[in-house]
Amino acid sequence: MIERPESPRRGGHWYLLTGLLIGLALGLVYAWKISPVRYVDTDPAALRADFKDQYRLTIASAYLATGNLARAQARLALLQESDPLQAINDQAQRWLGQGKPAQEREALLALASALRQSQPAAVSSPSLPNEPSLPAQPGATDSLTPSASGRASSAQTPSPSATPTRTRLPPASPTPRPTHTPTPTPGAPFRLSSHQTICDPALPEGLLQIEVRDGSGKAIAGVEIVITWQGGEEHFFTGLKPEMGNGYADYQMTPGVLYALRLLPASTLVTDLSAPSCNDQGTEYWGGLRLIFEQR
Amino acid sequence: MWRWIGFLLAVAAGIGLGLLYGWVISPVQYTDTAPDTLRADYRADYVLMVAEIYHHEHDPSLAAQRLAFLGSEAPSRIAAEGLDFALQHGYAPADVAMLQELAWALLTWQPAAGGVP
Repeated sequence: MIERPESPRRGGHWYLLTGLLIGLALGLVYAWKISPVRYVDTDPAALRADFKDQYRLTIASAYLATGNLARAQARLALLQESDPLQAINDQAQRWLGQGKPAQEREALLALASALRQSQPAAVSSPSLPNEPSLPAQPGATDSLTPSASGRASSAQTPSPSATPTRTRLPPASPTPRPTHTPTPTPGAPFRLSSHQTICDPALPEGLLQIEVRDGSGKAIAGVEIVITWQGGEEHFFTGLKPEMGNGYADYQMTPGVLYALRLLPASTLVTDLSAPSCNDQGTEYWGGLRLIFEQR
Repeated sequence: MWRWIGFLLAVAAGIGLGLLYGWVISPVQYTDTAPDTLRADYRADYVLMVAEIYHHEHDPSLAAQRLAFLGSEAPSRIAAEGLDFALQHGYAPADVAMLQELAWALLTWQPAAGGVP
């Protein structure tokens, strides 16, 4: 009997491909499941959405405490959002709906208001876009500030701390102080300057629209409005719908219910507000109201 | 025999390729990370934010709640780490002072029952 030597031709070289595929599968299982890449030095932009909300709130609260808008802007930049102002407004709106504490919403709105008012200045200042965002170097505006960390960071993150050397920061970097931020006349009362009935079938029934302006006619965001009715009270703010204007706020009235409304800290008290009855070619429907307040 | 050796070498090569692909070319992407994975400088800056707020409102309980964002460590330890980082990296004296104030306050602060540990 003749013993035939093992011949590669019998099975071809498929066994090599089979081995390669098995190995590839094992490697991927190990790399993706058993021991995936672990991120331990992440940046705030990678945070989950709810953590970003918390981070944003802390930025706003710190801004409220210090009035340092430049630092707040640098911190917001770490979240790498296309429109930080919109993100803050959205969060304030969501938190209003979720019944979060009023002081948290106020902090967000205060920062939103300051950002909105600072926007024209930021655009006109040639130095601001080139300034490093330095939340990791909080003393940046004071003097020489070493970098926070020399560790490698992800390449796409323009981290201020990536350079392990001392960096002289622009000495003339403007750090706007809170007193520089234009604000409406503090404490001046709001006066009701217009009270209109709106009969527009295109609008939601019973819509109460409010606009708040300062003495020069400029819309004011972040003004707290208190509306009360028998057995209830609700607080809301202007500026939460920036697409309608910074000083705009609205409220959905229930037809047949009488409301009273005032602005904080002080305004004329508007009473007996209710959804008016309107008629459009014989069709009855509930209209809305439009109130305009001006500061004196 | 050679066939088995070739097979095992192919398996090893496949594992190598798999690891290369899984770790380097297309690693697991983390987009929804938790704050406890933040890099040390970002953690320190977060602690500084809390210190700035604490300097204004002097409420260690709220400060501890805010620091709990960074993980389950004791708030005093998180604050102390932030202070260490600030000292090592030459933060501005005013910022260091606020971090010290926070760290000291949390060191002596006793959480109420059911509060932040």
